[in-house]
Amino acid sequence: MNWDKEKIKSILPHREPFLFIDEVIEIDGTEKVVAVKNIKNNESFFEGHFPGRPIMPGVLIIEAMAQASIILFSVDRPEIAKTHPDYYLGKVKAEFVSPVYPGDKLVIETNKVKFLDYAGITDAVAKVNNKVVATANLVFSIKKE
Amino acid sequence: MTNNNFEEVRRLVAEIIEVPVERLSPDADFFKDLGVDSLKAIEIVAAFEKKYRIIIPEKDIPNIKNLRQIIEYTEPVKTAKA
Repeated sequence: MNWDKEKIKSILPHREPFLFIDEVIEIDGTEKVVAVKNIKNNESFFEGHFPGRPIMPGVLIIEAMAQASIILFSVDRPEIAKTHPDYYLGKVKAEFVSPVYPGDKLVIETNKVKFLDYAGITDAVAKVNNKVVATANLVFSIKKE
Repeated sequence: MTNNNFEEVRRLVAEIIEVPVERLSPDADFFKDLGVDSLKAIEIVAAFEKKYRIIIPEKDIPNIKNLRQIIEYTEPVKTAKA
């Protein structure tokens, strides 16, 4: 079942211009989520990164992976996601393979490594045109207010 | 507990929590003595699950506080699989 922007916003606390998931296109049980971010020509970060030569910052690809990981966590632990906790990135090990440009459709696949009530680990891959542009292992924590 | 197993587990934990191997005595408390936080704890759990192909139930995690306990926890699983 696909998730639209409204459903995504019911889980992610992020909002424009810092919401980096447009659509969830696949959910495989509680193991995997595949999400899409369409990289528009007028993304705010392109103004400065870089003037006249727009390239999506690698850290924002990581951010998109982290947001997809939160969605996966919410599928695995809906009772915790329902309480709208705070999510913090703790540690990232990443590799960037190719640049991402305006017009690209960034497809982010995130896989569960381990989830606990208060922390999670995922492996994520970002692709454009089915070609890997970045991979990362993310460790994050979940804190209730 | 065999020496080899002890050294293997010790090295694995030391690498994750980024402390010198010598500081990791069998009874040093991960949280009080070695500064392990919840994120490091889940990394240790995930590393052991991957290496020994086991599932450590969430309810058991608070009871694993030092190297001795983590070795005792993984030992029966390893023996059963051998």
